[in-house]
Amino acid sequence: MLGPAIAWYLVVGSAIFAIGAAGVMLRRNPLIMLLSLELMLNGANLVLIAFARRHGSLDGQVFALAVMAVAAAEVVVGLGLVVAMARRKIEIDVDLLSRLRK
Amino acid sequence: MIRTPAIDWLTLAPSLALLAATIASLMAAVLVPERRRRNVSWFFCLAGYAGAFAAAAILFDRSPHSRGVIANALFRDRYGALAAMIVAGVGLLTTLVYYGERSTVDRVGERFALLASAGGGMILFAQSANLLTLFLGLEWLSISLYVLCALERERPEAIEAGFKYLIVGGFSSAILVFGAAFVYGATGTLNLAQIAGKAPSGDLFLITGLAMILVGFAFKASAAPFHTWTPDVYQGAATPVSGFMAGATKAVALLVALRVLSVSFSAQEHLWTSAAAALAVTSLVVGNLAALAQRDLKRMLAYSSISHAGFLLFAITAASSLGTRALLYYLIPYGAASVGVFALAALHERELGEPATLDNLAGFGWRRPLSGIALWIFMLSFAGFPLTGGFVGKVYLFAAAYRSGWTWLLIVGAVATLVSLGYYLAVVRAIYMRPEPGEKAAAKEEPPLLDRMLSTAVFAAVIVTVGSFFAVQPLIDLAKHAASQLPL
Repeated sequence: MLGPAIAWYLVVGSAIFAIGAAGVMLRRNPLIMLLSLELMLNGANLVLIAFARRHGSLDGQVFALAVMAVAAAEVVVGLGLVVAMARRKIEIDVDLLSRLRK
Repeated sequence: MIRTPAIDWLTLAPSLALLAATIASLMAAVLVPERRRRNVSWFFCLAGYAGAFAAAAILFDRSPHSRGVIANALFRDRYGALAAMIVAGVGLLTTLVYYGERSTVDRVGERFALLASAGGGMILFAQSANLLTLFLGLEWLSISLYVLCALERERPEAIEAGFKYLIVGGFSSAILVFGAAFVYGATGTLNLAQIAGKAPSGDLFLITGLAMILVGFAFKASAAPFHTWTPDVYQGAATPVSGFMAGATKAVALLVALRVLSVSFSAQEHLWTSAAAALAVTSLVVGNLAALAQRDLKRMLAYSSISHAGFLLFAITAASSLGTRALLYYLIPYGAASVGVFALAALHERELGEPATLDNLAGFGWRRPLSGIALWIFMLSFAGFPLTGGFVGKVYLFAAAYRSGWTWLLIVGAVATLVSLGYYLAVVRAIYMRPEPGEKAAAKEEPPLLDRMLSTAVFAAVIVTVGSFFAVQPLIDLAKHAASQLPL
């Protein structure tokens, strides 16, 4: 196989996933949180493609394509909500999104 | 020439019926004049769910043996067909309740289109036979629900609920995909049936993948400690939608989890049964204790649904044919009671024009005697009293856990049931035994607006909740046929 060993792809993929997960949990800006969700999905994609390469099967690559399509759909809804929040002048800070707890 | 797989149309029929309903009601939102839009969109949604229910019933009848169809992407079996029937039944009742929902903005067409679409996704999810279709079904239902929650965007609470659901839902899906990637890495296949036995049972990648898939399902089934989104989303979404999420989303998440675990991970059974037991106990503790402290009815019901996730997880902990039967049976009265109770909450909200709380429910049982009795029945069914399906379901789940040797789990379950009486009976007490606050007396004078659709839905939910107690045997037989097709 050409290129670095598969372990490196897994390390990078997992690191991207972990950065994304930390971003969703720690950051408070809705846009950054959406971005972090994308990072998580792309980390998973990299792992899928690396494994597809190792097994010499296309399943993983098809899965990665499907994940990309779904991620795009999710972001469309997410950005739509961010725009709706901005229009309604709802605070763009998740800590302040606590109307529902009262 | 590309070889295409043979398409088994009957297996696809339930989700296709709902997909067609989605398109039809969405087109109606554009093409039909405004004053008839609500009726037309609503009709298509109702017809879609009725069609899906009929198709699933035919599928159940004609699938005596489980097999993979359409290039092994979907299972054609009775387990999936029964799950589809539960989803379609809950969806049918929700459509009736949703008809009269007032909204500040005119988005009646979209709301029925999204409701039908979410049901279609759930059915595909329940039938999925490989990790890719499983993910696509999950996202189909989730994205529909995100939009459905936030649809009334003039209400800040709705947007907040939608956004929270999107972030947490997206997070859990990403975890699930990452887990699926590792399972694929360990076994080289996405096919659920082929995953079993492809890798040594202690394989690190496989175990990591299993754990992450389990977490993804726990989020969707709102089992503690992955439940934090549930109260906010149930409270912020339109009330009939909350009922749909409690009755249908939780049902499919648990049913698919049980299918994936038993089909693909039978070699790791000792791991996932222990994990399910831990999730069950946390859900029971967190759900029950938090529910006791709630004054808002929808928030209380959200915590009650978390504690029910705990009870339903007994079936996965048991990992037996009896457990599967118990889960399938219990989901029928549970789904009906969920839709019914949220329907009554919606009725109360529409009358008062403010969220239902235990305080403003005072006198509800005297003002509306029939609805009061219905609410009473649903609460007793949730608590597991005899003469309701909830009783049989709970006994069945406990028996399954006991038979598999989880005696201590029974004790936790029994204590949890006792604690749950505290908040279920608090509702009954509120509607009958509290004096009506003075300023609300004015509302009493007005003739109560009668919503025929909503009353029909509540009536049907009562029939199912009580009927499932008296007609246990036929339902158990259905569940038995479905459960026998899982390798447990």
